[in-house]
Amino acid sequence: MKFALFTGCVARGATRELMLATIKSAEALGIDFVEMKSATCCGAGVVSEKNPVLTDALNARTFALAEEQGLDLVTICSTCQGNLKKSECNIDSDSQYKDKINYVLKDGGHQYQGGKIKIKHFSNILATPKGKALLKAKIKRPLTGLKTAGFYGCYVLRPSELSEYEDPDNPKELEELFEILGATPVYYPSRIKCCGFPIIMMNKEASHAMAGNALAEAVEEGADCVVTGCPLCHLSLDSYQPEIPILQEKHYSIPILHLPQLVALALGFSPEEIGMDKHIVSTARLDKILAQHA
Amino acid sequence: MIKHDVLIVGAGLAGQRAALEVCKELDVGLLTKVYPSRSHSGAAQGGIAASLGNSEDDSWEEHMFDTVKGGDYLADQDAVEEYVKAAPRVIYELEHMGCAFSRTEDGKIAQRSFGGHSKPRACFSADRTGHAILHALHEQVLKNAKSIKIYSEWYMHQLVIEEGRCCGVVVSNIRTGEVEVIHAKAVVFATGGYGRVFKITTNAFAGTADGAIAAFRAGVPLEDPEFVQFHPSGLYRQGILFSEAARGEGGYLLNGAGDRFMEQYAPSRMELAPRDIVARAEQSEIDAGRGVNGEACIHLDLRHLGEARIMERLPQIRQLGIDFIGVDCVKDPLPIQPSAHYSMGGIPTNMFGQVITDADSTPMQGFFAAGECACVSVHGANRLGTNSLLEATVFGERTGRSALEYARNAEFGKLNESHQKARVLKQVEEIFQRDGSESYNDIRNEMKDVMMEKCGVFRDADNLKSCVDAIRSLKERYKKGKVTDKGQLFNTEVYEIIELGNMLEMAEIISTAALARTESRGGHYRTDFPKRDDQDFLKHTLVYSKDGELELKYKPVVITRYQPKERTY
Amino acid sequence: MAKFRIKRYNPEKQAEPYFEEFEYDIPDGATLLDCLNHIKWNMDGTLTYRMSCRSAICGSCGMKGNGHALLACQRQAAHLLKDGSDTITIEPLGNMPVIKDLVTDFQQFWDKVDQVKPYLKNKEKPPELEREQSPHEFKIIDDATTCIMCGACYSDCNVLEVDKNFLGPAALAKAQRFVGDSRDKATRERIKELSKPGGMWDCTHCGECVERCPKPAEPFYRIKELMAVGLKEGVTNNVGARHALSFVKSVKHSGRLNENKIPIESMGYFNIKGLLDLVPVGLRMLLKMKIPPIIHKPVDDVKDVRRIFEEFGE
Repeated sequence: MKFALFTGCVARGATRELMLATIKSAEALGIDFVEMKSATCCGAGVVSEKNPVLTDALNARTFALAEEQGLDLVTICSTCQGNLKKSECNIDSDSQYKDKINYVLKDGGHQYQGGKIKIKHFSNILATPKGKALLKAKIKRPLTGLKTAGFYGCYVLRPSELSEYEDPDNPKELEELFEILGATPVYYPSRIKCCGFPIIMMNKEASHAMAGNALAEAVEEGADCVVTGCPLCHLSLDSYQPEIPILQEKHYSIPILHLPQLVALALGFSPEEIGMDKHIVSTARLDKILAQHA
Repeated sequence: MIKHDVLIVGAGLAGQRAALEVCKELDVGLLTKVYPSRSHSGAAQGGIAASLGNSEDDSWEEHMFDTVKGGDYLADQDAVEEYVKAAPRVIYELEHMGCAFSRTEDGKIAQRSFGGHSKPRACFSADRTGHAILHALHEQVLKNAKSIKIYSEWYMHQLVIEEGRCCGVVVSNIRTGEVEVIHAKAVVFATGGYGRVFKITTNAFAGTADGAIAAFRAGVPLEDPEFVQFHPSGLYRQGILFSEAARGEGGYLLNGAGDRFMEQYAPSRMELAPRDIVARAEQSEIDAGRGVNGEACIHLDLRHLGEARIMERLPQIRQLGIDFIGVDCVKDPLPIQPSAHYSMGGIPTNMFGQVITDADSTPMQGFFAAGECACVSVHGANRLGTNSLLEATVFGERTGRSALEYARNAEFGKLNESHQKARVLKQVEEIFQRDGSESYNDIRNEMKDVMMEKCGVFRDADNLKSCVDAIRSLKERYKKGKVTDKGQLFNTEVYEIIELGNMLEMAEIISTAALARTESRGGHYRTDFPKRDDQDFLKHTLVYSKDGELELKYKPVVITRYQPKERTY
Repeated sequence: MAKFRIKRYNPEKQAEPYFEEFEYDIPDGATLLDCLNHIKWNMDGTLTYRMSCRSAICGSCGMKGNGHALLACQRQAAHLLKDGSDTITIEPLGNMPVIKDLVTDFQQFWDKVDQVKPYLKNKEKPPELEREQSPHEFKIIDDATTCIMCGACYSDCNVLEVDKNFLGPAALAKAQRFVGDSRDKATRERIKELSKPGGMWDCTHCGECVERCPKPAEPFYRIKELMAVGLKEGVTNNVGARHALSFVKSVKHSGRLNENKIPIESMGYFNIKGLLDLVPVGLRMLLKMKIPPIIHKPVDDVKDVRRIFEEFGE
């Protein structure tokens, strides 16, 4: 299993623990990730607010880079995943548009062919029969007793035509992964809703309300932690957690993990090795559950 | 008591257009049993006709001839002339209001071919023209919100006529169940058609003859009710409309053998012959066992148009096929059958929208009607496609203007509020009190079945007699039903029952008039009288309610420019 | 045999809503609306819902099926039975008060549509014939004009769920129908209104409106078109617009987002309150050393990236 790794911006910045856990868990599983060092930001749905064609061109260049390596592209961020898929769809569905994009890429020495590479989120790779087999073979510390609530991130679910999940209205891929890792999945309605990150600076109250309602639900369903496939959701749910009014009122707090961190824990890594000590909401309360199978 | 200078019942194209006219000067109420943007006008797809000449040279005279011939010479030509002359101005006005029309390369309003029209004069917005115009008018109504009072989800029970003059209506607020009287100097009905009387229909559930029957019960005759248009391309078994525009863009009609059978029935126009001719052609093929798989089904084939053209001109149709029958018209032909679509007949009016009550055009003071519920008559025995959106807009405006001019100088009529309210309350209470064992659903289905079978595309005396008898028997059984929902709050069950009562009346009227017309003309085809009989039947039917029975009289047709000729395509 | 688990509510009878189950063997090709009609006409006449055209054009029959908004007439009932389940859960549209059973109160929905002044604004005297508009110009408003005002987007909007001040997807899509119309002359005026709090920059990109829209109207994409117009018009004195501009500048410069700069440039150097808002989270992250590197490294071959930006005039 060899892939071009599209890290996205935040995994190189405010959530470097995501990158750390990704590399470590991939190594342990024997997955070969080749980091795409020339790939740009996916636009995050924000660049396209100014110029959608520019966004598609930048992403087409990224796809061309992967095509040139002959490798499928893997993302570790729901937002990257959704935005790359959107650009792919925009370009692939209109041959005249594709020609226009390729004309712009030409002088940089890249051309997007299309139909050559797949764009998948890390969770999609792990959910394949091969991925599941690798996990099962390499688990050193089954996460028995860890009640885990998944949080998908909007961009990886909607619109459903672009989603790599089988049923974006009722996805099971994360929860099935949790089970393979030995943990107990916790279901709650807000796991497919928005964390509010895109409007954290424009409408803080609404953003906090969205994040807070989701976390309160997870807590009330008995979850020990929330695991997300998107570092922007992580920022909203973890870094901003202490400020969220509804959680303050109810005296709730709950640690938030990146998906690769959960995988790495099951593969035997310690929380420190995968940057869990960097989180704003302490993950210390998980130590007891983890210690059971050190 | 609620008071308005003018009260308009029905908020589709005609109703909203009339309201926009009246609000320029007077206080107007606009009442609908749904919400204005949910009116059935929005379901019209193909286009709105006008001799703009943007695609090919055209003239109002040609539009008039096509309309008169299309109507099998039963249309009143003085009205048709005014109507087609007004068309270009009306289109430009809609465009100025902001209506989103599809365009030609040089920025003009695009026009396409349509059944029965000798020139491409259908202005369109993709394949959702009714929707585009309805929303353009609705936007204007919202803009004028201060001058138009909208009553959404209010049901009109009864027209109030006192001393030969219309004084108002009795209505219910569907949400609260409260019965109210609205006192008005002028009442305009724009209540649409009654396709729901038939089993397979393109019409919304709301098309239940409420306005026509309220007028009928108030002593107004109904004109030409036997003329019902069966649209050739309703979805098989469901009736959902696939626009004639599909044929306008070049679609083919194929029988079970894969043949373009229209060659045998209308060799010069083929799929673009007028609807009554195409519907009869389809039904003939079906009756002869040449339907698809021997069933009551024909194929509408668009594959040769290609995906690009379909997505540009007919995107909604493609989605309807996928959503409602799982067929993608880019890859496969769509299964269709003749479906009850438009009511040429209705409340008789003169060409200014004033309701008239006899062959001498005696007006019913203070009462006006426009749109599908009215019979001016501009469509005669058969309506050409794209002429109805035009009718609703032109006559919505003209009727609004007539109502405005009348109400400007009129006083409120004398009306006994408590008496009128009590009458309707009693009727509604009676329905609540019924304790029979008949199923309203069964009665409704039986009505629809018998009308489709015996008063449909092909009619004859025996079947029509049996149909009339069946309807009368259903009317008796109707009195022996039972209401489950006894509440006041948003009680949709009781309104469905009232609507059924209206439909049964209408069914009897349609079949009785059809029985009496022993000729074939336009949409009314008698297998026992297959020829058109201008000698005896070049006249409009007027059906009156007299002592609980139906009485038929007739009214002459106004013929000016085009003498009746044989109608072939 | 399928079970229809329907949320009932009748304040004339009970104060609280409750679920009621009906069993019905779904016939081939039956839509959810067909099933509701069967239940109403044969099992329980009190079941109340709106419906009219049954062909996905009037917008009356919006409701939630299995927790997500849809048009009852447009959905095959059998498609709502997933993963071996035999039950379809039906509820009224969200984000609206419920009047009875599946009938909701659309008043706030229509109030918000009114707020965007949903009619053509052009004070010039119209020409004698049609105003000209090219097919390309028509295309810009084509999608927005397909909206049937069904409320499905409004029902499932994640922002409306927590903030009723948000204009919402339907009103914003309607706004784009006019902002994008070459015949409308009030673009700047409209954009200024739409850039206020509760307007377009409050959209959280959750994509629910696109997912639930039964037509090609797809409000979120219309909102993004509005944002592009807003930025082009230079109406940028708000956090959302500054955020987009900062983002684009950053990606042009280094191929990546500079997370240290963006919060400050988004809030704006003179937005004291906004900047102060950032202090708690900034401090928290600083204490954990959870900050992006101060020296922001560009991607390899960033020259090519900058060239692409220049090609687009950015």
